[in-house]
Parts: sequence; structure tokens; C-alpha cells
Amino acid sequence: MNLQIFVNALVNAALIAPPAMAFSLLFGVLKFPNFAIGGYITIGAFAAYTFNVPLGLPLPLATIGAMAVTGFVVWLAHVWVFKPMQAQSAVTLLVVSIALTLILESVVRLFFSADVRGFDIPLERPWKFWGARITKEQVQIIACAVVLGTGLHVLLRHTRIGRAMRAVADNPMLAAIRGVDAAKITALTTILCGAIFGLTGVFAGLDLVIEPLVGWNLTIPIFAAAILGGIGSPYGAILGALLLGLAEELTILVLPSTYKIAVGFVIIAIFLLVRPQGLFGTAEIKK
Amino acid sequence: MSAYLVSMATYAGFFMILALALNLQWGLTGMVNFGIAGFYALGAYTSGLLSAKAGWPLGLSIPMAIAAGFAAGGLVALLSMRLREDFLAIVTLGVGEVIRLIVLNEDQITEGPRGLRIEAQPFQSLVEPENYPLFYLCFVAVFVAITYWICERIRKAPMGRTLRAIREDDVVAGVLGKNVFRHRVQIFAIGGGFMGLAGALYAHYTQNISPEVFMPTVAMFIWMSVIVGGAGNNRGLLIGAGTVIMFLEGTRFIGDILPWLDAEIMSSVRIITIGLLLIVTLRLRPRGLLPEPKFSYTKR
Repeated sequence: MNLQIFVNALVNAALIAPPAMAFSLLFGVLKFPNFAIGGYITIGAFAAYTFNVPLGLPLPLATIGAMAVTGFVVWLAHVWVFKPMQAQSAVTLLVVSIALTLILESVVRLFFSADVRGFDIPLERPWKFWGARITKEQVQIIACAVVLGTGLHVLLRHTRIGRAMRAVADNPMLAAIRGVDAAKITALTTILCGAIFGLTGVFAGLDLVIEPLVGWNLTIPIFAAAILGGIGSPYGAILGALLLGLAEELTILVLPSTYKIAVGFVIIAIFLLVRPQGLFGTAEIKK
Repeated sequence: MSAYLVSMATYAGFFMILALALNLQWGLTGMVNFGIAGFYALGAYTSGLLSAKAGWPLGLSIPMAIAAGFAAGGLVALLSMRLREDFLAIVTLGVGEVIRLIVLNEDQITEGPRGLRIEAQPFQSLVEPENYPLFYLCFVAVFVAITYWICERIRKAPMGRTLRAIREDDVVAGVLGKNVFRHRVQIFAIGGGFMGLAGALYAHYTQNISPEVFMPTVAMFIWMSVIVGGAGNNRGLLIGAGTVIMFLEGTRFIGDILPWLDAEIMSSVRIITIGLLLIVTLRLRPRGLLPEPKFSYTKR
């Protein structure tokens, strides 16, 4: 029973941590909380579904396809919607990003209807150990999240492109003076983040269900994890995701599970009020 | 058909009150509120529960709805003291969602997803049932006019100048000796009160309220109304709210003309059109259809 809580929290964290890192990265470059990530995740889930079920591709191939499709969609959204509106205030962009999520969700609903779907994978009995259960898919999700986290760490810390991404997020003008092509780096960041959101869509389809609202339901936990860990700090996002997963599982013990989404909001509110820079972020210097 | 237009106009009235309230908070003072659906729900359930379950007359329950929105607005404003505007957006969205979740889960009081049935309607006994929808439209229109008048008064008064100063730079306004904190709490509370009023009017119009009406999408539509109409301009956002309702409800007519399209497809197309409306407006007219007029000392 108790171990099960930790297993569930771990799976939750593995689902939330990669998009929270991507959200943090995107926030660094674009400077507003992008609610469109919900739509991006939904697109990822349904792209993978299309490759996997109607087209009959094996799931690993379908996943790569979904990551490519989502990366492309996110890049397109950047070029057509967000880039031309750069001069608008953060709040206006936030409203636009919610509108974009609604549009993407509705496009998916238009083609696939609101039915609940699943991938074409054999049903297997979950593994049991010390009274806790875990499915094969959940183990895969955790493994992928660990690999992805490590990969992102190596990319950001030890490659030229990663350094450029951090430089642009930190101070685009200084980066430009030092010869970094900010526009190109921003575009690369959006594509990278898009691929991660696509992967999250696949994970969500494996662990939860595939439906148009799947992305929206993950949006608040992702925001909560990113804010908890300190926005702009991709590593904090991992710890934030773990703590959030644990908090959500513990709430279910005392409150009806429908209140689960409220936990994310309450954590966001408390952290923003008490420690706005999150666990690991550095305090912003206000003018 | 004409009954349909009347109901559409009534809904536009609710949206206009909500949009005017949001414009007070954001367009004029620069405080973000994404919890509109929560305030709307609070007003609807306060008046609905008081009249349906406690048997209060509407003359008392509707003012109570306004008071509830006012109090909640004042409380949320306290958050805005510490938060950056984009974070405040997430927190207020959370406030709205938590209100909806409470309504959904505490169903022994609110009837939850089953929906709360409200019999009482204002001046029910004085108006013929077949004329009642038209009467209610006028009733709502009166409240829209009152709200508009109050908002315009605030905007043109010396207080409006202070509020715009706070919006542009709260530090400068503070240095000039304006009580930024008090103004913010006041305006957020007044806005919340108007939103509560809109909720109460809605509750006694449909006579059946349930939590799924108060999804965050409501907040979205009001934000679109304000942004499309032109933030800071009360006349512009009346047009904005009208436009959004027209796209939202008017597209139902297409369903009557092309009956082979099913409801699922129609609702998707509706949301897509309205989202594109926002994006296209912002691309072509970045400050909305009727932008806020530049302030001038020489003419009013």
C-alpha cells in the first residue's frame, strides 16, 4: 500500500518531468507561460495513435513519428503565431496560447471525435513486488524519462548548441553580440521542446488514455512542477515533478480524487507567494 | 428564430457585464484575472442556493451574489500584491478551477453535476410567460447599462487616471503618493462584484446551473472579448463581447442550414473559428478593433 504510493508518484513524475523541463526551456526563450503545451501534447498523442493503429507501425517508430510531427507543429505555431506577436504583452500571448490549445484540441476532435482510445499494445499483467504493482509500460516511461533527462543535461551543459540556448534564454541581446544567431537558436529550442511534448503525448497515451483533453489535464501539473522547481531551472523541474507526484498521491488518501487538479494549483499558489523563485531558481532582480 | 435572437442577445448581456468587469481589472488597472468563471459561478450559486434552498427573495439573493463576488475579488487582489502578472494569471485560473471543483464535489449542497434547479425569476408574476424572455433581455440590458455607466465614470474620474498610472508603472504611482494597494483591492473587488451580478442574472435566466458551464473556457471567451474589442475601451469591448457571442452562438445557425453536420463537428468548428478570430485580430489590429484612446489634456 505505502510502496504503491511511491511507485505511482514516481510514474507521475516520469510523465511530468520531461515536459516540465521543456516548458522551463520554452519559458526562458519566449518569456511567457505557454498554455499551448496542452494542445501540443494532445497532437503528440494522436499523431502516435495514427501511426500506431490505423497505419500499423510498431510503437517505437510511431513515437519517433509523433515527436517529429509535434516538433513541426510547435515550430509552425512559433513562426505563424508567436513570433509575429512578440511585441504584445505576456498576458496577451498567454491568452493567445490558450486559444491555440483550444484550436489544436478542436482540430483533433474534428478528425478523431472525443472517443477514448488506446495504443495497439498487448495487455500484460502488471509486475508485483512487495505488494506494489507496476506495468511494463510504466517501467518504460520511467526509463525513457531518465534517459531524456540525462540527454538534456548533456545537451545544455556540454554542447555548443546547449550553451547557446542558455545564453539566449539568459540575455538575448548579449548572446547576439557574442555572435549567437538568436532566431535560429529559438527555432531550434521550439523544435526540441516540441519533440519532448510529442513524447509526453505518447507516454500519456500509454499510462492514461488518448483523448483530446489529455494535454489540457496535464498542463497544470506541468506548470506546478516547473514553478515548484524554479522556472527556468530544468533540473529543478525534475525534483518539482517528484514532489508534485507525491503530493498528489498523498491527497488522494484524504480527499476525493477529483480534487487532484486542485493540488497543483494550491502548490503553485503557495510557492509563488512564499518562494517565487522556486526551490532552485535564483531570485529575479527587479528594477 | 426571433426567440433564438433574444436568447443570444441575453447571453451577450452576461458577457458584456463580465467583459466590463475584466476591463476594470485588467484594461484599466493592469491586474490579471483568469478566474472569471469562478466569480461567475460564485454569483450564480450564491443567488441560486439562497433562493432555491433557503427561500430568500431575489431582492436579497442577487445583492448577496454581488457581495460574494466583491468579497472574493478583494481577497484575490491580496494575491496580486506579490505576483508577477503572468504568474497571477495561473493562480487566478486556479482560484476559478478550485471554486468549480468545490461546486462539483460538495453535491449535497450544490447538487453537483446533477444541476441546481432554481424556480424563482425576477418579476415572474407581472409578465406573461410568452413575453418573459423579451422582458428578461430588457432586465439584463438595464444592468449592462448601469455597469457601463459606472465603469465609464470610474474611467473618466480622477481615480481612472490613478488606475491607468498604476497600470503603466505602479512604483511611479506609489512615489506620487497614490495608495496603490487600496486602489488595486478596491477595483478587483468591484470587478468581482459585477462578475457575481452576471452570475446571478445567468442563474435566474437558465434556472438550471451545473458546474460544467463554469469551465475555464468562459474566462477565455471574456478575455477574447476584451482583447478583440480593445483593452481599456469600454465601448470597444461591448463590440468585442457581441462579436464573440455572435461567433460562438451564431454559428449554430449553420447547423440549421446544414443539418447533416453533427453537433460534435459543429462545436469543434465553432471553437476553431473563435480561436482564429482572436489570432487574426491580433495580427491585423494588435490593439483591438477599437483601441483605447490616447489621453489628452485639451479635450475630454
